[in-house]
Amino acid sequence: MSISELVLSIADNKQMLGLRYAEWATRAPSLEADIAAAAMGLDDLGHSRVLYGCLELLGADPRGPERETDAGSLCALPYFDQPWTSWAQFVAANAILDTAFSLMIEACVNGSIEVLQHRLRKMLMEERYHFLHGRSWLRSGIEKGPLHEAWSQAIEWFGPPDGEVVALHREGLLSMGPPYLRTCLEEMLETRVPKLTIDWRSWSGPRRRNRPGGIDRHTFAMLRGLKERRFLPEGQRMPS
Amino acid sequence: MSAHYKRVTGDAVEYEVFARKTRVESLHQVGSVVAPDDDLAMAYARATYDEERWCEMAIVRKDHLIELWQPRETS
Repeated sequence: MSISELVLSIADNKQMLGLRYAEWATRAPSLEADIAAAAMGLDDLGHSRVLYGCLELLGADPRGPERETDAGSLCALPYFDQPWTSWAQFVAANAILDTAFSLMIEACVNGSIEVLQHRLRKMLMEERYHFLHGRSWLRSGIEKGPLHEAWSQAIEWFGPPDGEVVALHREGLLSMGPPYLRTCLEEMLETRVPKLTIDWRSWSGPRRRNRPGGIDRHTFAMLRGLKERRFLPEGQRMPS
Repeated sequence: MSAHYKRVTGDAVEYEVFARKTRVESLHQVGSVVAPDDDLAMAYARATYDEERWCEMAIVRKDHLIELWQPRETS
């Protein structure tokens, strides 16, 4: 895995995180939480734009044409494949996955690549409030199921103990490797990773996930602008 | 009876939000949020009132304000 593939993975995950947050902008437990969901959604969609914008500067852009038609070619985690049906799923993603992505961004900012050092720094300031939001809701207690799922996918996303993220860390491109990222995540959230059994043999390096599949058709169509075509006057084509 | 209306329920408390756009102006109240703790109140204040380019924002628990007098009372 190259650094640009890792940045693409952060970008795809942040894009999906932003979209899933936004879906809760009118369903959260309070008006303030609604507004926070909308604001965090906007932040993460903005962050994904910045991250996509870094890809060309990092060398070969890893995005292929299949991304326009195949939801299974995007690099988001299974946690984002379907819209969340419970607030607990929101909180687990907010506290654990969002913080995991921020830690990886911090590893990029403190790594040796100049473009990432400069362009990603502001994200960490905005992410501070996502973290406070997630940790506070986490402290109030949520169901074990989404929590376990989020932890499992966060650890998988950091990568195996002998994987490419370790190599990127060894080369100095990242300031942290998987073991330290995991320790930081535990310390920030004041909790330990539950006992996990991860089968790295079925883990996909490019997509950083352990199972096939992709985001739901509705979300993929919306993401790619496919749904907008229904509103075009007859015979008119979408601008390319 | 809007004077008695309270959005605060359960463990949540009300926080007043203060901000200023430039160093030369004073902090002034821009609104309030309701939250169960300081961390969430900070996240809510930033999300709710971030549409302006504030150079400073602060929150304070409403029950930490020391009132001298209220409307219709004399000093």
